[in-house]
Amino acid sequence: MNITWYLILSAFIFAIGAAGVMSRRNPLVVLLCLELMLNAGNLALVAFSRMHGGEAGQVFALIVMVIAACEVVIGLGIIVAMYRNRLPIDIDEMSELRG
Amino acid sequence: MTIHLSIVLFLPLAAGLAGAFLPRGMARWAVLTGTVAVLAYAIVMIVDFDSGGGLQWVTSDEWISELGIRYELGVDGVNLFMIALTAIAWVPCTLVAAFGVQDRPRLFFFFLALAETAVLGAFMAQDLALFIVFFDLMLVPFYFLIGGWGSGERVRATTKFAIYTLSGSLLMLAAAVALGVLATPDGGEISFSLAELQRRSIPEGSQHWIVLLFALAFFVKAPLFPLHGWVPETYRSTSIPVLALLSGVLSKVGVYGFLRIVLPVMPEGSQHWQELFIVIAVFSILYGSILAFSQDNVRMVLAYSSIAQLGFIVLGIFALEEKGAQGALFQMLNHGLVTVPLFLIIGVIAARARGSESLAELGGMAFRAPVLAALFLVVSLATLAMPGSGNFVGEILILFGAFEDKLIYGLVASAGAVLAAVYMIRLFQGTMHGRVGPAVESREIDRVNLAAIAPLVAVIVALGLYPHFVVDRTEQGTQQSIAKAKHAGPEISVIK
Amino acid sequence: MSATSYGWLVLAFPLAGMLIVSLGWRVLPGRLPGWIGTAAIGLAFLASIGALLDLLDHPEEERQLVDSAWTYAATADFSADLAILVDPLSVFMCLVVSGVSFLIHLYSVAYMSGDRGYARYFAYLNLFVFSMLLLVLAANFVILIIGWAFVGAASYLLISYWYRRETAVRAGIKAFVINVIGDAALVVAAFLILDKAGSLDFLGVFQSAGDDFTENEGTLVAICLLLLVGAFAKSAQLPLHTWLPDAMEGPTPVSALIHAATMVTAGVYLIARTHPLFELAPTAADVGAIVGTATILFAASVALAATDLKRVIAYSTISQIGYMVLGVSIAAYGAGLFHLMTHAFFKALLFMGAGSVIGAMAGVQDMDRMGGLRRAMPFTFVTFTVGALALAGFPLTAGFFSKDEVIAFALHRGGWFAILAIAGYLAAFLTAFYAFRMVFRVFFGEPVPEARELEAGHVAHGEPMNPMTREPEDSDVGFPAPEHHVAEQSWPMKAAMGPLALLSIVGGIVAIPGVTDTLEHFLEPSFQDSRFHDTAPTTGSEVWGLVAGGVIAIAAIALAWLVYVRRPGTAARIRERVPRLHRFLVNKWYFDELYEAMFVRPVSTIGAFSRRVIETEFVQGTIVGGATGIVRVGTSFARAIQTGYLRMYALFLLLGVAALTLYFLIASS
Repeated sequence: MNITWYLILSAFIFAIGAAGVMSRRNPLVVLLCLELMLNAGNLALVAFSRMHGGEAGQVFALIVMVIAACEVVIGLGIIVAMYRNRLPIDIDEMSELRG
Repeated sequence: MTIHLSIVLFLPLAAGLAGAFLPRGMARWAVLTGTVAVLAYAIVMIVDFDSGGGLQWVTSDEWISELGIRYELGVDGVNLFMIALTAIAWVPCTLVAAFGVQDRPRLFFFFLALAETAVLGAFMAQDLALFIVFFDLMLVPFYFLIGGWGSGERVRATTKFAIYTLSGSLLMLAAAVALGVLATPDGGEISFSLAELQRRSIPEGSQHWIVLLFALAFFVKAPLFPLHGWVPETYRSTSIPVLALLSGVLSKVGVYGFLRIVLPVMPEGSQHWQELFIVIAVFSILYGSILAFSQDNVRMVLAYSSIAQLGFIVLGIFALEEKGAQGALFQMLNHGLVTVPLFLIIGVIAARARGSESLAELGGMAFRAPVLAALFLVVSLATLAMPGSGNFVGEILILFGAFEDKLIYGLVASAGAVLAAVYMIRLFQGTMHGRVGPAVESREIDRVNLAAIAPLVAVIVALGLYPHFVVDRTEQGTQQSIAKAKHAGPEISVIK
Repeated sequence: MSATSYGWLVLAFPLAGMLIVSLGWRVLPGRLPGWIGTAAIGLAFLASIGALLDLLDHPEEERQLVDSAWTYAATADFSADLAILVDPLSVFMCLVVSGVSFLIHLYSVAYMSGDRGYARYFAYLNLFVFSMLLLVLAANFVILIIGWAFVGAASYLLISYWYRRETAVRAGIKAFVINVIGDAALVVAAFLILDKAGSLDFLGVFQSAGDDFTENEGTLVAICLLLLVGAFAKSAQLPLHTWLPDAMEGPTPVSALIHAATMVTAGVYLIARTHPLFELAPTAADVGAIVGTATILFAASVALAATDLKRVIAYSTISQIGYMVLGVSIAAYGAGLFHLMTHAFFKALLFMGAGSVIGAMAGVQDMDRMGGLRRAMPFTFVTFTVGALALAGFPLTAGFFSKDEVIAFALHRGGWFAILAIAGYLAAFLTAFYAFRMVFRVFFGEPVPEARELEAGHVAHGEPMNPMTREPEDSDVGFPAPEHHVAEQSWPMKAAMGPLALLSIVGGIVAIPGVTDTLEHFLEPSFQDSRFHDTAPTTGSEVWGLVAGGVIAIAAIALAWLVYVRRPGTAARIRERVPRLHRFLVNKWYFDELYEAMFVRPVSTIGAFSRRVIETEFVQGTIVGGATGIVRVGTSFARAIQTGYLRMYALFLLLGVAALTLYFLIASS
């Protein structure tokens, strides 16, 4: 089985996600893009798993999904908290960690 | 193979931990009990010590076997009295702190106890890596003790103290790793055990720079000119009991490292830098004395006097001669024994002068405080190494050792001994004699400080009466530690 | 009991006295501390006599006994025991020290009563006597140095005894530091001796001195010169004399005991003790003789112009010790030590008399304000005059025999030593003159108001103040007591001065040329190895020397009488004729100013320079600044990349991963 196209697709999705994380200012969109990157990774994992015929890659993909779900829960929680505190929903405004 | 040293070593820490879980008011008594127990143990050790018996009460266990690091403790002539000094010094300082510190007492006394364990560990360690662990561990409690319970510009002082000592420690760590690796023979196992390192041969060229790195770390800790930049601020803003320990005991760990590690393991390297280190030592003696002579703040007088005294000790060690090393070791004990009461007395004085520590504002305190004045007098005379004190025996042995090898440097150092008389008498008179200062309320020493200081003074007097007690027990250890360095390499230009 | 057991007892009594008085200061009532201290010294004196008697039982060649208590310190080739040496020289010194000390303690019991630091005073005084006895009994250089330094410390404590007086505090620090210079010189000398002779024990070093050293060898001369520095510092010889006149800030009995009779003669003892070394190093011995003679003349000249009663006697002490140093340096050991003994008698007596006079004057020490005390204080007058006669070397007094014996010895050595002898005679003339200048100015002339008050039966009472600066004082601890004491009204003072006056007259009996040689004979075992053993001057030449000395003394006393009694005002006229010379003498040859400019100010300047420039610019600026500079540059870079923008962090992450990937790709291909 040739996985070249799967990998190219995965790389594309990953690049789109990364570009989104780096360029968007809305935290919701950033979270969405992060999901994209994770799913690009998942795609690659599943593709490799098919190629090698083992189950390990599938298991990893499942774990990544669980982690992604956790991350979204926490991320959305933070965003809601920011909204409730009437803070700007803009990650460039939140640069308290500046050295 | 005994477990006794491990018990002594971790007793203070255990007391500190216990104190941390006790009610607020109890922590101090738990830690005080711990220090007293360590002192009792130390006394038993001195009594049991066999003067000619080499390394005793050895504990040796695997620790990190992949890296050749062992948990190895032992006592011989070189560290017996350093352990004793630690044990003796911690009791009065804890006692004074127990009646003084009110702010976050559990944390304070935990750090104080941790510090004792770290210092004891550094003195007991017979493994280079273990020594470094404890050497760096010392920094942690003192960092918090200075920064958390100091006064004045304590943050600035702590930062400086930490940067200085950490840079020294890092250099030493690098040097130690290099030493361990370079000493490993082809196909052999790496080892940091000091006994093993002494048996292995290290290329002379490597010894040179390794010794230099170790010396940097130890000179910072001591401190010696010109690496004493951290001293003024740290001394100014540290609280009295902590400062007494810092100056009296911690400063000895560095110079102790020369006798324990540098000279026996790297004799050729030590020989190579002998002249340089002696020059640094002699310069520190003169520089410290002259500055001590021109200071107004009483703490600063003692700070610079410490630099001078440590200069004497390093001079004795690097005379690379039995009398000098013997004197240096004895002087380490003596200096610790006088510094602790000196600082405690300064605390007492400041408490009677509305916190003022300026000689210009002090004076005439002996007026209504004869006991305080008498204690201060004995300690001052011992500090300036008056004949009849243990310090004199230490100093005379150091000078004799220095004369033997480098007469000129010895003569210059004796000028430092005269200057010591000037600044100590100036300090004594400036606080106790003369017109009663504007801020001074002459009041007798309180019971707590009396109980802390008087026993130390008794020990000082006893050492003055019978110094051979110490000299006899330390002789074998010091002779072994300098034996190789003394005979290593060609004699460098002997000025006679 | 053997002589060494007595020797230990000699040490034990003053030490015990000091401990009892100092630990019991709060509970001992009234004059009890004084009596305890006095009793301790009295017992030490009795123990000294015991040692003497036991020593006399031994045959002459076995009169050098050593006893060791314990090893003081021993490592490598360094070894010193806590040991005492009992021989004729040390027993002689013990007798003089404890005997005179006993009388001065007795005097102090009354003189110091009323002082708020009474117990402290006697604790210090006993400590001093203990240290002095340790010094003279020491059997090796280490114990000697310990005694030496203890004596210096006790002297310091007693000089600064009235510690709230600024002048006393300054005088104390000066004395202490000069004494420490002497200690340091002794330490270096001890090292050279150990290095060359392999031992620090007196007997061991001296017995093998001939083998270890060649005559006038460089090292040996250095050793002896260092010993001389130590001796000069303690004995206030040129150029280390400046502390002694200032030491008069201490209570008057202290001046009598330490700064006249005992401690300042330690240098003489040291030279006598180490004479085997000095005889092998004639160059160093000659230096000692020359400096001693120079000091005699210098101090006598200053004493001519001083007006403070105690300081006149202090300069006289410096001058008289010059005679002793001259004596022991030219191998006239018996004569030098004889003068040490008689000087202890008459100088202690003079100081006690001065103390009584100062008491009568309510603390005033300036001779310009005294006069006519003769009738008010008959006892003091008589005893003071006896002391002055002995000091002047008036025929048949103690000082007459001892001083002139030293000079006769110098004459006998011949050659350039004759110059020293002539200088000695010249100084003897000055001595007699200033001695009676004191007597005439204090006791003759118009009675001052204080004298009249005393004639009426009570001691004058002035406002408490510092006699030097006239600053007002109170009379609490740290300042002198308000009440004053005169010998006429206090039996302990009389009981102390009487025997000394007697000894000042008849003390010479132990060594009258051609008649008695008790002292010489007794001291002989200590000096039998001397090369000059058989070169003592003949009785005839000594008698001629005595006659010359007697004539000089009488002439000088007569001159003083002319100047101060017969034609009062002569002195003022002379002063106006030579104002420069007078100012030169009043300012003590400007030694203090010289040292101020040579040592004190340079050290302070270096200190200030180090503090301001080296400490701030170099240590804090370059080293600390350099280290923190590196840290600061590093951290500012680290801070610059911490923008706080999430996207930047993500970018760095991505770039890092990309770089790693690239690296592995390149590495694997």
